[in-house]
Formats: sequence, structure tokens, C-alpha cells
Amino acid sequence: MLGIILYSGAVALIVIGIAGLVRSTHLFRAVLALVIAESGANLLLMLAGFRLGGAVPIATEGSFPLAMVDPVPQAMVLTAIVIGVGIQALAIALLVRVKQRYGTLERSKVTAAMELELNK
Amino acid sequence: MSDLVKRVEWTPLLFSVGLGCLLLPLFLALPFGNSPMVAGEMIQQAAQGVQGAVVDSVGAANLVTSVVLAYRGLDTLGELAILFAAATGAGMVLQSGSAALHQNTKMHKHIDSEINLGELFDSAATMLTPLLLLVGVYIILHGHLTPGGGFQGGVVVAVALFLPSWARNGGGQLSHKVISRIEGGAGASFIVIGLVALWQGDPFLTPWLAQGELGELFSAGTLPLLYLMVGLKVGAELAALLKYLAIDEQVQS
Amino acid sequence: MSNYLVLLVILPLLGAFLMQPLSQLLGSKQAGRKILQNFGRAVIAVTLTITYIVATEGEGVLQLPLSLLMGGFVVPVGINLYLDQFSLLWLVAIQVSLLILWPASRDIRQHLLLLVVAASSMGMALSGDLFNIYVFYELLAVATFGLVAQAPHPAAAVVSFRYLLLSAFGSVLALAGIAIIYSQSGSLNLAHLSAFVVNGETQFPLAAFLLLLVGFGVKAELFGVNGWVPEVYGVVSSRMSALLAGVISKIAVVVIVRIMLLLFPYPEASQALLVLGILGMVGGEWVAWHTAQRGGKLSTTLAYSSIGQLGMIFVAFSFSLTLGLFVGVALALHHLIVKSGLFMLSSAQLNRWQLGLFVLFGLSLIGVPPLPGFWIKLAMLQDLWATGGGLEQLAIALFLLATVVEASYLSKIISTQMVSPQFKSAKLGGNSEERRNLNLAWLYGILLFGAIFFINPLAETLHGIAVQTEDGELLRSVVLENSIDPLAGGEQ
Repeated sequence: MLGIILYSGAVALIVIGIAGLVRSTHLFRAVLALVIAESGANLLLMLAGFRLGGAVPIATEGSFPLAMVDPVPQAMVLTAIVIGVGIQALAIALLVRVKQRYGTLERSKVTAAMELELNK
Repeated sequence: MSDLVKRVEWTPLLFSVGLGCLLLPLFLALPFGNSPMVAGEMIQQAAQGVQGAVVDSVGAANLVTSVVLAYRGLDTLGELAILFAAATGAGMVLQSGSAALHQNTKMHKHIDSEINLGELFDSAATMLTPLLLLVGVYIILHGHLTPGGGFQGGVVVAVALFLPSWARNGGGQLSHKVISRIEGGAGASFIVIGLVALWQGDPFLTPWLAQGELGELFSAGTLPLLYLMVGLKVGAELAALLKYLAIDEQVQS
Repeated sequence: MSNYLVLLVILPLLGAFLMQPLSQLLGSKQAGRKILQNFGRAVIAVTLTITYIVATEGEGVLQLPLSLLMGGFVVPVGINLYLDQFSLLWLVAIQVSLLILWPASRDIRQHLLLLVVAASSMGMALSGDLFNIYVFYELLAVATFGLVAQAPHPAAAVVSFRYLLLSAFGSVLALAGIAIIYSQSGSLNLAHLSAFVVNGETQFPLAAFLLLLVGFGVKAELFGVNGWVPEVYGVVSSRMSALLAGVISKIAVVVIVRIMLLLFPYPEASQALLVLGILGMVGGEWVAWHTAQRGGKLSTTLAYSSIGQLGMIFVAFSFSLTLGLFVGVALALHHLIVKSGLFMLSSAQLNRWQLGLFVLFGLSLIGVPPLPGFWIKLAMLQDLWATGGGLEQLAIALFLLATVVEASYLSKIISTQMVSPQFKSAKLGGNSEERRNLNLAWLYGILLFGAIFFINPLAETLHGIAVQTEDGELLRSVVLENSIDPLAGGEQ
């Protein structure tokens, strides 16, 4: 039961995020949708290393617990989160520039203006 | 081609729902809470000192840290480089943008002096900075013992670096020279620590230095040193990012 | 010696990290600025030398394949780098292309990002670990976003942003694919995972392949996720276009091929690649034709044509037999040279000599004997014919159709160029940057023309590469040599 809830939650986050990424009319909201989708993917990775009854993979008082959860996906998720932060920061920097140039972040308006400039 | 996709508005929605229907049964078919963890078990056996473990233990009390810095150290280097490339990219984008809007630096100074976040904020920032630095460095240096480490501590350090300059003049005065030297130096030191192993005849990023007692501050060989470099680099990158965004906000307002 | 292989990834990164502090030290003097301008190129020259030394152990004979365990930790706990003839070919291609196409920009940060591009693409070609490949792929992506955003075009920022969104969408899917594979097997190493597959212990679902395919396919201009191609190539300089279309897309293809060969050795996976390849080939060539007919920009036509060409490459690689790999590698190399040359010619009006060069590239792209393109297309047709399913026969028909369409729009472009005033006066147009690009195009032209006289030895070399690439047993034995037996779980 717990598994169903957690996996559905993670997949739902990805679905919501991707739908938002493609459908949102405001570009900043697309970035937020991206954050949601990324957290869904990260949750999936976390679940990949989960063990029922496993403890944190950290030694307390000089000895490791007997049953631990997998440390590898945790390290992977740490990496994935930092990658996400980098990409989101760059996305926001680009959005600031887009706003300066076009005065709006409406997706349709920005796209129309871009196509005009590209075909010039 | 792209025109067609734009017209059919429901395609993306259908795609994402379809993706969900594809992913969910796949994951639900997996044995939940009983993951195979082939690589993970080998790491745990090494840490627990099981006879015949396949790899050597690296002596860190926090196994996630051993994975991040030793077993999968190349990933971490890549991720540092990603932050670095993102900060550089953001700097390029935003600096060229503000230069186009305001060619004269006079305008810049004028804006700087107008931003005043108030006496209270200023004094609070002055008091908080040393505390934040302390907490940040503590988290970084205990990364191999407790949850935390270079990335988490680096974020705190970034705030500590950025806060006083933000409170006083909106972040514009944070020295670009200092920041870029920290980020370059810390990244290069991470690589150089790895290269020392190469010079000793081992593969890149093989941990060296004595492993010490498990759970002590000075243990786990080069791992704390690597995490310190990670922390400094993350701190510098994020401070640079905050600075670029802050300058731009001023130019816009 | 093999320990030094890692320097290919590390040295460019080290150079990138040190670039800004260096520029503060040296930037004020004239000589210092000269050094900085050539710093990136020098780093790549050094790594190229290291490539030679490692691949031959200093003895002049290839000593491949070899596997290097990062940090000395055995697979699957640690990450490994794997160098065989296939990855060596792409390493050389990346470094030589970067040396040729390195821009003369004054902005030091552009050099810095290009060094990051070098490090990450070489990492992708070398890495034998699924998640490590993902990290390098993201690094490559972030560096290219920065390079696109700083292009001197008013729409650069928004184009870069749209590219970023599409790319991030792909990486979420790729991450989900990695999660599926890890949940099933508990490992990330390609060789180790492929041992599971070969032993019949696990079969990874097709969905995982599709997710990874779409994720890494963004850079490879795969059908469905290639919306960024015409926009980006319309914005960046011709050198960057040549780099993106010529080299970076191929590295993504290399990764996809490796993953397919090792983890998904069943017909459904190759058929998915075949279908997406056909769609890309037909769609790309058709829109390219359409753009040329409307008199659209040359760079846009070339962008769509590049989508079509990559579709063909995917079709070739979808026959994961020796012949398919051979044709795929040959097509990819051919496309690298021809597309880079065409993009170099696209920045300025051409005089009659340069138009002659353009015609040479065009003829090879269409496949007119005795140019290399002809032999590759011939081999591809034989390959498709020998495989002989219904889908393959459709592929033959569409492949021939695409060739005709290609011929049509290339002749249209050439006839448009011929009526331009500069063509008649035959004088060199454009600024110094454009003139240098035109000179570089001659270099690619000589490479292509020279290949005519070496068709047989080239084919033999490429065939050797294909044989080694296909040999999964060799890869597993080299990578897992000092490692545990994946099924017994104990020490060997």
C-alpha cells in the first residue's frame, strides 16, 4: 500500500510537471513546472534504493546499522538536485533577459516576437 | 512541424497522461522496499568490515559521503562543473543585458545609493554573517560524519557571503574578483587533490591520507578536504548567481 | 599509462576553472591577452597528445580496448572509463573539430564554456556508467545554453530558454529511465548491467529505452524533440552551428547506440529507433525542401537538413549488426565533415570557387559517385535490402525519396547563389571572421575530396571499429576483468 502511494505520488509529480511545462502560458510557470517534474524524478530515484526497515546509512557511535537503505541513489539524488538548481538558475537568468527585451513573459507573445526576429 | 504541434493543444496533455500510464505499472510491478542494491550492498559490506568485501572502505561515517566523494567522485566533479557553467552562463546573459540598458556606470552608482533596506536589516545582517559562516563551515567539515556536507554547507556560506552586501547596497558591491578566485581556486584544488593520487601511481581521485578513527573529525583521508573544496565552490557559485540576479533587479527598478 | 586517460576529461575542466583567475592576472597586458586567446586551443592540443599516448601506450600501435576504474574502485561500485576504437574515433573527432572551429572571441567566458563542452563530450564518449553519462550530458547541455545565449542575435536569450526547457524535459525523462533500470538491477554500470541482460537474469523494459532515447535524443536531434534545431542554428554563429550539428549531436548518438547495444539487445528497441529515424529523415528533409522553396535562410535549410541526416544515421544504427554499425559510423563521420563545411559556407555570399566547393559538398551529401557519400549510401541500401522486412522496404523507398528531395533543395540553393551579384564579380565578401570561415570550408573540402582516394582503407578501418563496437563480450570481459562475477555475488 505504501509503495502504491509513494510510486503514484512520484509519477503524478512527473506527469503534472511535464503537463505544466508544455501547457503553461507564462514562461516563469514553465520553470516552476520543471521544478515539480524534477522532484518527481528524484523521488523515483530515492524509491529505487528504499528498503523496508533499513536505517540511515550513517555510523553512530563507531558502528554501522545492520540493515541500511541504499546510499547510492541518495548520492545520485544529491547530484540531480544540484544539477537542477544550476539549470533553474540559468533559466531564471535567461527569463530576466527575455523580460527586459520583450516586456512580457507570456509564452505566445514571446514566441511570436522571437519568430519575427528569427525570420528577419 | 512545430506549427502543427502548436495547433493541437491537447497533444502534450495526452502525452503526459500516457507517460504516467506507462510509468506507473512499471514501478508498481517492482518489489517495493526490497530493492536489489547490488552496488549498494558492496559498499555497505565494505563499511561494516565484512570479510571478503569487494571494495575497500574509505573510512567515512556517512556512507552517502563515501559514495559522493570516493566511489562516484567523477559525478561530483561533473556536478561542480555544471554549477560553474550555469553561473558563468547567467553572468554572461545578465551582464550583457544590464550593459545594454545602462551604458553609463554613473546610473549604476545612483541606483546603488538609493537602495536602502533599513537600519534593522543592516545590523541584523552584520550580526548574522559570522554566525552563518560558522554554521556553514561546520556543516561542510562534518559532511563525512553527519548528514550535510559541501553542498548543504555551501548554500549557507553563499548566503553568508551575499547577505551583508545585499543589506547595504543591494548586492552590487560583492567583489567579482574575490568570488571568481574562490570558485576557480576551489574547483582547481578539487582536481589537484585527485591528481595527487595520479602522481602517486593510482587512478584519479583515489583517496589518500590516513583514514584515522571512524567518526572522528580528522578521518576518512582526503574526503573532508574534498568536501571543503566543494563547499567553497558551491558557496562562491551561488553567491555569484545571487549577485548577478540582484544587480539586475536594481537596473530594472 | 591508462591512468592518464582521465586527463582528457580533467584537463579541460581544470583549464575552465582557472580561466577567470588567469584572465585577472594576465588580462591587462597585450601579451597576456594573446596567451588567453590561445589557452583553450593549447589545452585541447595537450589532450589530443595524451589521447595518442594512452591509446598506443607510446608505441605507435593501438592497445585497445582498455578500461580505467576511477579511484581504483571495482565495477559496479566505482565509475569506469572505457576506451575502444569507437570511442577513440569520436574523441579524436571532438578534439580536432574543436581545434579547427575554436572561435576568436574576445570574451574569455566563451572559451571557458567551450572547454567545458570539450570535457563533457569526451566524458560522454568515454564513460561506462549510466548516471555518469547523464551528469556529463547535463554538463554539455548547460554549457551549450550559455554559448547559445551569448550569441549576438536579439532573439538569443529566448531561443536559449526554449532550448533549455526542451532539454530539461528530456533529462527528467532520462532520469526516470535511469530510475527504472536502477530499481530493477541495483547497478548503474553499463558492462555490469549488460552482463545481467546476457545472462538472462533481467530484461529491461522497452519503456526504459524509450525514456533514455528521448532524453539523450534531444541533443541528437531525434524526431519529436528537435524543435530547438532551426531556432538555435538561426541564432548562433556558423562555427557554433558546425560544432552543434557536426560533433555534439554525434556524441549523443554514440551514447544512444552504446546503451541500445548493451542494455536493450532485442528487436523492439531497434525498431523504435528505426521508426523514429525514418520520421526524422522524412520530416527533416521535407521541411528543408519547403524552406528552400520559400527562399528561407540558408542556415534554416541546413538545420532541417541536419535533422534529416541524423534520421538517416539512426536508421543505419537501428540494424545493430556489424554492417549497420559500419554504415552508421561512416554516415556520421561523413555528415560531420560535410555539415561542418556547409555551415562554414553559409555565413557569407559565395564567389564561384566557393560555390564549386558547395556543389562538392552537396554532391557527396546526395551520393554521386565517386564521392564518399555514394559508397556509404550504397552500403546502406545493401544493408536495408539484406535485412528485408516490411519496415525495411519502406525505409528503402523513403531513403531514396529523401535523397531526391535533398538533391532538389540543394540545387535550388545553388541556383539562388548563382544569381547573386557577388558571384559574378568573384570577389571575397564579408568581414575577416567570415573570410576565415570560408577558408576553413576548404579544409573540410580537402578532407572530403581526399577520402575518395582512400575509400578502401577507410572502409576497412571503419569495419574494424564496427566489429569491435558490436562485440559486447569483449567489453564485458575488459571492464569486469578485475571485478566480481555479477551473478555469484562473491569474489572471482
